[in-house]
Parts: sequence; structure tokens; C-alpha cells
Amino acid sequence: MARRPSARIRRPAAALCGVLLAGAGLSACDSGSAGAGVAGGSGGLTFATDTEPSCIDPAVSPLDVTALIDRNIFDSLVNASPDGKIHPWLAKSWSVSKDGRTYTFKLREGVKFHDGTPLDAAAVKASLDHVVDPKTKSSYAAGLLSAYDEARAENASTLRVALKRPDATLLQSLSTAYLGIQSPKALKDTATLCRNPVGTGPFTFAGWKQKQSIQLKNNDAYRWGPPTAAHTGPAKLPGLTIRFIQENAVRVGALNSGEVDVIGGLPAPNVRTLKRSPRLQVLSSQAPGGTYSVHLNPARGPLKDKRVRTAFLRSIDLDQLVKSVSFGQYDRAWSQLGPRTLGYDKRIEGSWAYDTELAGKLLDEAGWSKRDGEGYRVKDGKRLTVHWPFVPQLLREQRDILGQGIQAQAKKAGIQVRRDAKDTGTYSKQIFAGDADLWDSSNVRADPDVLRTLYASDQTLAKGGMNVFKVSDPKIDAWLRHGAATADRTARAKDYVKVQRRLRDEALVLPVYVPTYLVGAAKDVKGLSFEAASYPLFYDVSLGDS
Amino acid sequence: MTGSARSVLRWLIRRIALSALVLLGSATTAFLALRLTPGDPVRVILGGSSATPEVLAQVRHELGTDRPLSEQYVLFLGKLLRGDLGTSYQLRDTVSHVIGSQLRGTVELALTSFALAFVVALLLAVSTAGRWPVVRGISTQLELVLSSSPGFWVGVLLLTLFSFRWHVFPAAGGDGFSGLVLPAVTLAASMVGVFAQVMRAGVERALEEPFVLSARARGSGETAVRFRHALRHAMVPMVTLSGWVVGTLFSGAVVVETVFSRQGLGRVLATAIQGRDFPVVTGVVVVSTLVFVVVNLLVDWLYRVIDPRLREVPA
Repeated sequence: MARRPSARIRRPAAALCGVLLAGAGLSACDSGSAGAGVAGGSGGLTFATDTEPSCIDPAVSPLDVTALIDRNIFDSLVNASPDGKIHPWLAKSWSVSKDGRTYTFKLREGVKFHDGTPLDAAAVKASLDHVVDPKTKSSYAAGLLSAYDEARAENASTLRVALKRPDATLLQSLSTAYLGIQSPKALKDTATLCRNPVGTGPFTFAGWKQKQSIQLKNNDAYRWGPPTAAHTGPAKLPGLTIRFIQENAVRVGALNSGEVDVIGGLPAPNVRTLKRSPRLQVLSSQAPGGTYSVHLNPARGPLKDKRVRTAFLRSIDLDQLVKSVSFGQYDRAWSQLGPRTLGYDKRIEGSWAYDTELAGKLLDEAGWSKRDGEGYRVKDGKRLTVHWPFVPQLLREQRDILGQGIQAQAKKAGIQVRRDAKDTGTYSKQIFAGDADLWDSSNVRADPDVLRTLYASDQTLAKGGMNVFKVSDPKIDAWLRHGAATADRTARAKDYVKVQRRLRDEALVLPVYVPTYLVGAAKDVKGLSFEAASYPLFYDVSLGDS
Repeated sequence: MTGSARSVLRWLIRRIALSALVLLGSATTAFLALRLTPGDPVRVILGGSSATPEVLAQVRHELGTDRPLSEQYVLFLGKLLRGDLGTSYQLRDTVSHVIGSQLRGTVELALTSFALAFVVALLLAVSTAGRWPVVRGISTQLELVLSSSPGFWVGVLLLTLFSFRWHVFPAAGGDGFSGLVLPAVTLAASMVGVFAQVMRAGVERALEEPFVLSARARGSGETAVRFRHALRHAMVPMVTLSGWVVGTLFSGAVVVETVFSRQGLGRVLATAIQGRDFPVVTGVVVVSTLVFVVVNLLVDWLYRVIDPRLREVPA
């Protein structure tokens, strides 16, 4: 490929080599000239992303990027299409018992792991047991299997999974890469599991240069792609290199200069320039699950008063704010659920519009009618202040600017939003203690059950959930419980619509924007699609000129 | 044994004993600092999973973070003495392996950029010291700009020009030499300025000395006077800078490694601190202290080589 700079690099570098290294007494020169495109030689595709997982055992790491990488290495029992429907994959069929507590899977035959081990019911059982084993120290996957009791191999191709309670989200959970099926042989070597993923997927793991890149090779024995894919048989790419380039400017530059073929985490401000380039394209996918939202603490301070919470929500002009900060790339959110999620309430849109007059009236009613010298509202000599701690290093997607925007708009309504920069340790300690008025998060998941993690009263941080402000609302609890235990999609959707409206009416959350995965790619990259959780899939991808 | 050999030996033993104390001190400080800062590593490890209190307790027990601090400290020291740095919480790999796999990148970068900075500064300083007021002025200004430019900015600037525009060097994560050039130049840039200023002052001071006059009287040319006679005197303050240099190389490496997506200890340390990965943090602290101690030993020995007067006086 002409656009790879590798050929041109070699000569000047070699000439400089002797000069520079003479003093250092190093021998790096001889290994040096192959430096440019890591995947250049193999003709594979190079994908650059901003974060590197610390462990790529899918059962361990909670990161999106782990799922993105592992999706290429591991297949799952079932497959979910972006609309949330479940299709067969390693399981060709399944049945659910009447009480919703026993799932029986019939496995596909002839499937082999990368190490040659055949896939059978015992292997799947070993893989699921590994996820829930406390020794695995799972950060996320074990949570997906929280209802799991045990699995039993009835025979080589039949697996029975017993649950502690009915769980309507089980199949969706099983479809994620976090619950990808691992080779029982590889699972035995627990010491290297983080760096030696062995699955049945379209690519095999070939190496990891920590802090730099992960190499994957085509698995030419692959015949069991999911029905949602555009083709069957082995992946089209001979290899895949995932490079970790943390700096946004450098990642975009590397795409522009042709050093990498695809980049993830494309910063919204770069989209317009990329679209103008004749040889680049921008692809995007809205993530399902929780939107990026600011949660309000109803248990302390001025936000105890529902009128103050509502006033805060109504005083932020999100249409303008999200549009300008994301350069039009993200949609503003109306609900805690993203529009692509099952049960999304379309009618919530526009139902709590920006209304400063109403906000002012509510605050007056709540007794915050006086203003101090700086324009903030006061009551009994106390200023209307809310605290919003954050960790600067963890901010992404221009969330720092969004935060400042929210702060500025709240100020107009007379509410002081204090953004307190903390280190990760202090931050988590504070959040655990509920010592904050505002807390922001986005929880991507292709199922509305994400609402249960965020708002069910039994999902507080201490109990392993994400209900940070310990919201305890019997109505919400009942709908969420029902939604999680009901198999019928229409019935489930109704429960989640009710939850979304209740969250709005109680003003418990300020939904801000719909997380959107932005990808920049060279135009000759064909067939790139997105997984249900909206990260890019490489199985169908081909490079135009290779 | 001759008197001077005995004095060298005595000096060496004393220095090594002191170095061991320094190592112990830094390991202890790192250990305590990590335990005193808020943030439970087990909470970080188990992140967003629905870990029950029982699972949390089990993991704490496995990692030993549920034991009293004094017991943890004794265990930590015992392991350290046996050369065992422990196992990373986040990477699930032995710390020695983690450090071993990243050390090469840091050493390559540090040595290359140090050599580069040294040579460039030497040429600038010796050639412009005490003459050519205009050239000297420009050089001094340039050095000031270089030493005050943030590494992050220099790195992105170099990348924009040499990788994105002219495709001379790879942008990120390049292996071997071609991938080393821009990071080394970036890291060297901040040191060149300081080196050159210190050396120039030294050379200029030496050029005033009577021995330079006598060298000239014996017919030495200008270049020979500067390089053979004056430079040696200018080197003594340079050696004193070594502590600063080691610090700069380590801290600057974090930025350079991030911008250029290089392997290296700096980034390992930064990630470990964020993830409350205690064993990795203490491991990197111990290893970098060791480097520091060894460099200081070498430097003190270098003093004696450069300045013969020090050899006579027992240190």
C-alpha cells in the first residue's frame, strides 16, 4: 500500500542511527528499520483506540475496549442484533422452562477452540463457572451472571443452566463478549489468562506488546460466524492489529497520514475535517442503554426538595449545549435510556423543555427567592450550592466543557454548581459515602435492565450496584423487578416506560446526551459494522485494495 | 593494599551502605504513602460488578490487604529482600515481569535523549562561549525557549511535521530506531537548554583562568584550548546536575511515552497509581530509586576522575 510510510522511512532513519546512538552504546539500530506500520507487512488492518485494557480475559475486565478486542477472539452462546433480538450462535437453539429459571442450550457441532479443543457442553460450563468464581475477580461479567446458579452438561451438546431467580436479561448478557466462551484448556492456566485469550472466534490472539499493540491473526478454520454477519467462513482480513494511542491529536494524525486504517474514539471536533477528506470516512453508532446523565442526590441538601431538582433540570438549555459542545455529533438525551434501547419512551421527548421562567418560579416557591451579590439564590443566609465532584483524568468526550456549560446555565437560574476536581481515590471514597449532590455516568448496555443497576433500592454501591444516591422508590422497584423477570418484550417495554416517566416526574436525573461511538476510517475499509453495544466489528471488514 | 586503594574501598563501602538506606527509605515511603491515600484497591479491581460483601472480603484476604498495616509491611519487606516485587493487581502478572518488559523502552529513550542533549549542548556551549556576541545571543535565547517548552507541545509539533506531514518517522508506537528519534528529540529538547547554559558558564569561567593563557602562550589553537583545557573544567558543574537529569528523564518520559504511545516505565507507573495497583507502584519506585542510587555512585566516582584534587582527600 502506497500510503503506508514504511518504505520511505527506512533510509533516513538508518543513516541517522549511527550518529545518534554512538554515544548511548545501544544496539537498537538493527531491529529498527521495520518500525513504521506494525501491520504493514502482513497486509492486515490497523485499528487505533485510546485505552488499553489491563487484562483481556473477558470475564475480568469491564472496559468497552476489552469487549471490542475480545469480540474478535471469542464467540458467544447467542448473538444479539443491534435491535436487541437474540439469534443462535454457538448454541443453535435453546428453550426456557415455564418458571424462567432453567435454560437448555443445544450446542452447534464441529466448533473448535484455537488450541484445538472441541467445543462441548462441559467447555461452556467451565467457561461460565470461571466468570462467577470469586478467584477470577471479575469486574463486570460476574454481574451479568448474577442470577446464575449452576450449569450442567446433560450430554456433549446439551447444556442446562439453572438460575437462582428468573432473569429476562440472561440471553442478552450471554450475547456480550464479556461472556464469550473460553477454552477449558486455557482456563486451567490461571496465571497467564489475562494475556492468553483462547476462544473460538474469527481471529486468534498472536501477541501483546504492552502499552503498544495487540496482534490478532485470521483463524482460517472459522465456519461458525453469527447469522447477523454479512458473510460466512473465515474473516476477510489476514490479520488485525489493535494499537493504543492515547492522545486524540496523535490518533487522528495517524489516521490522516495513513499509518492506521481505522480509529475509535474519534473526537467530535475532528469529524468535520475528516469528512472533508477524499480518502477518509466517518461512521457512527448510537449506544444503547443508559445515556450520559447527571444524577441528582435526593437525600441531602437543597436537592431534597423536588421543586429545586425540577428547577435545576429546567434551567439547562441542553439542545444548545450538547449541539455546540459535540459539534452536532451527539443527540441531546431526553431520557435516562437511549433511543436505541428496548422500552425507550419516545413520548418523553420535549416533555420537560428548557424553561427558565418555570425554574425561577419553582425556586421562589421553595424559598430561594433572594439573591446574593454574585447572583446566586440564598435562603436563611445560605447559598443555593450543589457539589459535583469529578476526576479530571477520567473526563472524555468534552465532558469537562459540558460540565462548565451546565454550571454556567445553572448560575443564570441562581444555582451554584461547584465542580470539585478529585483524585480517583478521594472521588470513589466520596461517592461511596454519598457525599455529593451530583454524580455523572453513562452505562452502555443493550438492555433496559441497566435502569435496575442505577435505580433499584437493592443496587446501592455497597451491594454492588450503581444506585449511588440510594434512591428507594417502591414503585420504581416493582416495575424494575417485573421487567427483569418478564420474558415478553412488549410487557417489559411497558415497565421501563413507566420507570423513565417516574424518573422525570421525580426529577432524579438530568439526561444529557446519547453516547455515540464515532469511528474514523480510510475509505478503502469496507464492511465495518457495529455490535449491539455499538463498538466496531471486524469480522466482515475488508480492505479495498488488498 | 596501598593507602589510596584502601581509601577508595572505604569510600565505596560507606556509599553502598548509604545507598541501601536510601532504598529502604524510599520503599517504606512508597508503601506508607499508598496505604494512607484514600481509595481501596479491591473496590477498583472489582469495579462495576455486583460483588457481594463476601466476595469483597475474599479478594481482600487473597491480596492480604485485610491484614494489619505492620504485618503487611513486614511481609512486603521480606519479599523485597528476596527480590520478589509481588504480583500486579490489575495486570495479574508479576511486577518484575511487568517492569522487565517495559524497562528497555525507558532505558533506550533515556540514554539516547541524554546523549543527544549532551552532544548538542556541548557543541553549542563550547563554540559560542565568550565570543560571537550575536550568535551567542541567539543560541542563549533558543536554549531558554527549548528548556521552557512543555514536552507535550514539542512532541505534538514534531509529530505534526515529521510524521503527519512528511512521513519521515512513524507517529506512534514505532519500534526500534525510527520510532525512537522523535521521542528522544522531544525529551532532549528540555535538557539541551539547561546543559548548554551550565556548560557555557563553565567554559567562560575557565577561559579566564591563567592556565588558558599559558596554553595559548604555548601555541595551542582556539579549538584545542576550548575542547582540551576549558571543557574539562566546565564538566564539574555538569556532573552536579546529574540528579536533576535522572529526575527529568523519568518524569519527562511519562509525557513522551504518552504522546508517542511508547512502551516504558513512566506510563506503567501513571496507570498503576490511578488503578491503585500497589505492587506495581512500589516496584517502580524501588527500581527507579536503584537507578538513582547507582547513577549517584557513578557520578561521585566521575568527580574523582575529572577533578584529580578529589582523589587525594578521602571522601
